[in-house]
Amino acid sequence: MLNFVSSIDFSNPYFSVLILLVIAIAMSVGFVFLSQALGPKRYDRVKYSVYECGVEPFTSASVRISVKFYLIALLFILFDLETAFLYPWAVLFRQLGWFGFIEMAIFILILLAGLVYAWKKGALDWQ
Amino acid sequence: MHLGNLASLTLFLPEIAVTATILLLILVHVAGKNRQSAAPALLSLAGVGTALLLVALQPASPARSLFEGMVALDGFAIFFKALTALATIVVIFMSMESRELASRSQTEYYIFLLSVLLGMFLLAASTDIVMLYLALELVSIPSYLLAGYIKGRESSTEAAMKYVVYGATASGVMIYGFSFLYGLTGTTQMAEIGRALAAGKAPLPVYLASVMVTVGFGFKIAAVPFHMWSPDVYEGAPTPITAYLSVGPKAAGFAVLVRFFYTVFATPDAVAGTWKLSQSVDWPMLFGILSAVTMSVGNLIAINQKNVKRLLAYSSIAHAGYMLMGFVLLTPVGLKAILFYLVVYLFMNLGAFYVVILVANGTNSEEIADYSGLGSRAPFAAISLAIFLFALTGIPPFSGFIGKVYLFAEVINRGVYWLAVVAALNSVVSLYYYARIVKVMFLEDPKETTEMPVQAFPRAVISLLAIPTLLLGIYWEPVARVAANSVRLLAF
Repeated sequence: MLNFVSSIDFSNPYFSVLILLVIAIAMSVGFVFLSQALGPKRYDRVKYSVYECGVEPFTSASVRISVKFYLIALLFILFDLETAFLYPWAVLFRQLGWFGFIEMAIFILILLAGLVYAWKKGALDWQ
Repeated sequence: MHLGNLASLTLFLPEIAVTATILLLILVHVAGKNRQSAAPALLSLAGVGTALLLVALQPASPARSLFEGMVALDGFAIFFKALTALATIVVIFMSMESRELASRSQTEYYIFLLSVLLGMFLLAASTDIVMLYLALELVSIPSYLLAGYIKGRESSTEAAMKYVVYGATASGVMIYGFSFLYGLTGTTQMAEIGRALAAGKAPLPVYLASVMVTVGFGFKIAAVPFHMWSPDVYEGAPTPITAYLSVGPKAAGFAVLVRFFYTVFATPDAVAGTWKLSQSVDWPMLFGILSAVTMSVGNLIAINQKNVKRLLAYSSIAHAGYMLMGFVLLTPVGLKAILFYLVVYLFMNLGAFYVVILVANGTNSEEIADYSGLGSRAPFAAISLAIFLFALTGIPPFSGFIGKVYLFAEVINRGVYWLAVVAALNSVVSLYYYARIVKVMFLEDPKETTEMPVQAFPRAVISLLAIPTLLLGIYWEPVARVAANSVRLLAF
């Protein structure tokens, strides 16, 4: 034990962090058990409901969501990112010149192929 | 030398060819009315063929770093690009023949197939951990789709589901390991990470990161204990895809495993062609155990299989174990043995799967029991399957033997005798289950006696796979030389 204590490097700047960590864990765990042990226990209907305050739940929380939402979300992210790339290009348009224009045109054409594909596959129809 | 984005483009032609083919296929799919036409297959054949040609024309030396250090162009990358492109061409031939896929949309199938190929090109070449992760996902995500490509079949959907869950977990663990490496070194460049790790001392986080990264790579090559997905996926997926997964992504997985461990955990020595392990981790022991366990588990479970695809799945796990033997000592000779074995393995394994497809087309079954009397019903198919299976066992006149000799030789030369003994015992075990199929084909009475003629085209493809399998067992020097030359990795 003495050996262990003497091996601890108290001057280490992180030693206070360790102490803080120990105290934080002890407090958070300790209060859970303390309230369990000391708190009054009175159970009634209100306590057993899902929320003690707020709206009563009227259906199950796991609802089936149409897969179309995900499709739209995916397409949105794709074309949202496209605009994110377009902004910096638009700002530097004059400096980049024709090289930048052609590079961007290829990028947009590739995305366009994807859009045509999604369109023809009916990903944009809400039926 | 680091090349900029524009200068890299001329050295990036194979990848551009594959990308252009994918885009063209998307347009063909949108414009085309006939979902079952052979046009997409021919188009992708032309695209992959062009890519293979462009790969062959690429200069292997000096090794170059493209796109500001994202991917490498070195002998190693070129070797794996050629290997995976070749595998893709054979798989396209298989897919054209397979009846399972005939009712499904053809174009999308080839779009996914070529996306996997593009991913494998990048995976074998990536020198940056972010690029590596991106390439790995580009291989994985279309593979999930392809595994579940036969929508109505329960086993196919199950295969895709299991593959997604395992794949997502493995890549999640791997990228967590990458985050440690980045946190420790402050760079995503593999070479710089290697230098930083060689200079500094942080053993515990490095152990942790290397174990986590091994999980991701182990999943791709289906090494025990990360192999659980492979039997179910291999059984449920369409047979051409099973063949593809057992050769293509596995080869790419080995490529990335080797490149990563060489550049991150080893430094090139002053003597040309040798590497020095920079960490104090006992890599030989770790990978030796991994290799021994992988081959033993694969072979022992394969004994009891009744389904051919499942049997070949376990045999594929066992072969990953054999190939890991070459990785154990991180020597160029061992590496050359892996590269040579992958070439041999490509021909014999794809050949075996091709015959399985032909038999399934004729009998609608993949059970070993239904192979009875194949020797008299379809002698050509039966004899070629026997050749492929004996080659997989590693019996002398066939190419599998030479591949194993190279793998065994390095392990024995370096004095890891126990691993050589385990591998030799495993080869004996594997003879039993491979020979059992041969016995069923030739010695058991057929349930049906109708002949199953093999058309001229499949006959030609099987011959193209069987001839190298035989020839490389007798005259293997050129391939071995190419493999030895390809071991040179980009290092600076």
